[in-house]
Amino acid sequence: MNIFPESVSTYGSGIDNLFWLILAFAGTAFVISLFLLLYPLFKNHHTRVKRASYITGSLGKFHFKLVAVAMLIMAMSDFIILFAEHSTWEAFTTLPKQKDVEYIVTGRQWNWIFTYPGRDGVFGTADDVVIDEPNSELHVPINKNAFFQLKAKDVVHSFFVVNTRLKQDCIPGRTITRWINFTKEGKYDISCAEICGIAHTKMRNFIVVESNEKYDHFIDSLYNQQAATAGNQQ
Amino acid sequence: MENQKSLSLPSIKIPQGRLGIWTLIVGEFMIFGGLIGCYILYRLRYPEWADQAAHTSTLIGALNTIVLLTSSFTVVKAHEAANRKDLKKITLWLSVSILGGFLFLINKSIEYSTEISHGFTFSSPALQADGDTIGSLFWSFYFLLTGLHGAHVIVGMILMLWALLQARKGKNLHRVELSGMYWHMVDLIWIFLFPLLYLAK
Amino acid sequence: MITGLFMALVGGFLAYVFRYNLAFPGESIPLFGQLSAGQYNQFITNHGLIMVFWVGMPLLVGAFGNFLIPIMIGADDMAFPKLNMLSYWFFLTSAIVLMISFFVPGGAFAGGWTMYPPLSVNGYTDPSPSFLSAIFYGSSLMIIAVALEFTAILMGGINYLVTTINKRAPGMTPFRIPLAVWYIDIATVIFMFSVGPLVAGAFMLLFDITLGSGFYDPARGGDPVLFQHLFWFFGHPEVYVLLLPTLGVLGEIIPVFSRKPLFGYKPLIVLSLISAVLSVVVWAHHQFIAGIDPRMATFFSVATILISIPFSGIFLSLMATLWGGKIKITVPMSWALGMIGLFLVGGFTGLFLGSNAFDIYAHDTYFIVAHFHYTLFPSVFFGFFAAFYYWFPKFTGKELNKALGYIHFWLTFIFFNGVFFVLFFNGLGGQHRRIYNYEMFSNVAIEPYITFEKIATISAICLILSQVIFLWNFIVSWAAGRKAEKNPWQANTLEWVADSPPPHGNFHTAPKVYRGAYEYSVPKASEDFLPQNLQAD
Ligand SMILES: [Cu+2]
Ligand SMILES: [Cu+2]
Repeated sequence: MNIFPESVSTYGSGIDNLFWLILAFAGTAFVISLFLLLYPLFKNHHTRVKRASYITGSLGKFHFKLVAVAMLIMAMSDFIILFAEHSTWEAFTTLPKQKDVEYIVTGRQWNWIFTYPGRDGVFGTADDVVIDEPNSELHVPINKNAFFQLKAKDVVHSFFVVNTRLKQDCIPGRTITRWINFTKEGKYDISCAEICGIAHTKMRNFIVVESNEKYDHFIDSLYNQQAATAGNQQ
Repeated sequence: MENQKSLSLPSIKIPQGRLGIWTLIVGEFMIFGGLIGCYILYRLRYPEWADQAAHTSTLIGALNTIVLLTSSFTVVKAHEAANRKDLKKITLWLSVSILGGFLFLINKSIEYSTEISHGFTFSSPALQADGDTIGSLFWSFYFLLTGLHGAHVIVGMILMLWALLQARKGKNLHRVELSGMYWHMVDLIWIFLFPLLYLAK
Repeated sequence: MITGLFMALVGGFLAYVFRYNLAFPGESIPLFGQLSAGQYNQFITNHGLIMVFWVGMPLLVGAFGNFLIPIMIGADDMAFPKLNMLSYWFFLTSAIVLMISFFVPGGAFAGGWTMYPPLSVNGYTDPSPSFLSAIFYGSSLMIIAVALEFTAILMGGINYLVTTINKRAPGMTPFRIPLAVWYIDIATVIFMFSVGPLVAGAFMLLFDITLGSGFYDPARGGDPVLFQHLFWFFGHPEVYVLLLPTLGVLGEIIPVFSRKPLFGYKPLIVLSLISAVLSVVVWAHHQFIAGIDPRMATFFSVATILISIPFSGIFLSLMATLWGGKIKITVPMSWALGMIGLFLVGGFTGLFLGSNAFDIYAHDTYFIVAHFHYTLFPSVFFGFFAAFYYWFPKFTGKELNKALGYIHFWLTFIFFNGVFFVLFFNGLGGQHRRIYNYEMFSNVAIEPYITFEKIATISAICLILSQVIFLWNFIVSWAAGRKAEKNPWQANTLEWVADSPPPHGNFHTAPKVYRGAYEYSVPKASEDFLPQNLQAD
């Protein structure tokens, strides 16, 4: 059985490996602590020990050193974990130099709004395509650095794509840019991980990852359609 | 030996009430500290607030500062009188302090009414496209901070009145000091608010 | 204390209702009926609020502080008895206000116990305007209730500190004070220092809701993240406010049943002070994914993981007390050991979340839920029960039924693990929190997680039912239990010198203190214990 759902982003496996690393440290420490806790219960049960030793106020130097050393080991494993996790954190939060595609994803009560920049590649122009409906899909090409400008229209939402391991709160009044490089084609869930009201549960949209040819084809027809409807309105 | 060493009472023995008020003051300062901290953060983010702060009346603010400082001084006088068990002087000085509180509140209400009549209210209007009402939040902070402080002024006056009524019967003279400590705190908070809200323009 | 226990029942009932709904979505719930999504949100929100503010605080800080502090330091009463009563009435009022909020139009507050704006301000602007007023009543009442509760705890806190500083018996020097008193006082200090900013934040929230200010509204120049900072500045230390009194209680129970002094009494005090200081600089670890500056996140990640060091020292010292002792397993001792065992799980899973990179994934999933239940449940309930079984003979003069005590312990221990251990896997599998019904999430609502949900729910029901044993034991023993001895556990601390139950004024003659609280097997003494107020020869 897999503990994690399938990872489909370049940095997803980093998170999974980090989990196993911390588990190794925390697990070992946990087993040792359990031993420290349980061993005396069997060894020193009062049926086996006559009289506990008398110690005034202060404690034995040796035992004190032992605890100090244990804390030091704890501190060292802490720093190993911190060191190891830092590169993963950087991978998530530092944007790569090369931007291949970019979208705006806006949380609202209660669905995600997707905005494609249109042919000119610039947001905020007339040819932007905005898709604002429940359970809609955002199309993204595979193996490309896809940037997401994350926004929120009303309350705090949280952009969570389980299979990429990325989660980012969307705060009203702010724009936070995160990136994903998908490594596998398919249809993945976007859910909202921050409680955002009565239909928080129903907030579910999708990211469809497809090959470059398919994506180009899709985006072409999308923009053509947009141009056509815009023309009709005029 | 060690066991015999210290059978005397604990060495630090602060009067009960004074200790209680001190703890209360620490708690109060954390509340105001939180608010003032938020205000300063916003103020640094939006230098435009200075334009709004220009509408506050430095004159009334300064007047109120003087009023509070004076009443703080008279409270000290009342405390001294309490130490001498001089009931008449206690009555005199405490009454003067309470009067100071009244003066403060009257000034404050004059100030509030002129400000509100100029359209500066607690509720902040929505930002315009060019951000011209960005400072509206200044007034929210202004009314929140001074309003909360005003509430403390009223509490302080009630405490002093209570101490006064009891002192006239010769009872609980230490309460003169306690209410005075509270009054100093109210004063001190104002000393923080005055430059932040009035002088920084 | 009774009020606290009653609120625990309410909180438990809420938990039962929403857990049932998660395992068997859409089915009618016994004793309740159909649960709507709106009610689900209200219930999870108020479960959190109640368990932290109306159960944890009054049981651990309120009850422990009032019962233990005066008698353990040899005082006749608290410094300000009237203030104490006032504090209780404030608390009771706050509980009633919160209960009322369930019955106002629109129901109780439903924006999560963290009450993040703008949700807590605007609420559900969609689809009908009536929702606007709905959030108005619920959240205003909630804030008022929380404010009253804080006032109550603050009044209590002033009382504890003044009592400890001023009312100690002769000879009760600072380093002869039992650890329980130290830790309750340190918890109080942490509370008083951290709560101020939250009160400030709550003022702004209340006025945003009622008077139309825009402190948290970005459209009017405000910032919603500000509230998160103010909330967690208090929220994280609050965990230690709940943990420290329990650790203090363990510091009494473990030495008594190991017949050995507490290991490292002074270092324990120093360590707890260090962690108290650190606790106010770790708050932003709750906001790693809230878009804070990445460098700031690194700082908070380091601070968070560092705080594990003093706590590892505290737990190691408690465990070291067991080594070389003469251990008696009793009911309170079982609760104490169970508390350590479970908290270790909670503490070590904290390492995963303190690392900001892994937190990106685990935040707001069931992994977090399981983690903080593994820390809070042992601190609040195991700590409370340990203290309860330990001091019950003292405060009622009656003995509890031992067999029922063990059964209660083992059932609670097993079913608690049954609820929350499986939820770690649900969280790692990507199930996010606060979801009314997972059925539509075909990506995460798969086996084995569906089964896990059912295991968790059935265990939760059993966990709540096991508490019936406790209530039964409590009531029957109090009414018709055997009379308890004056010092049944043969402990040293002063409360065991007083009669059971302690009379008004606690002691017949004011005690004098000759020794620290943890000296066993004093050479010249006939028994292996010697109360603090007696001399050895
Ligand atoms: Cu949402
Ligand atoms: Cu925390």
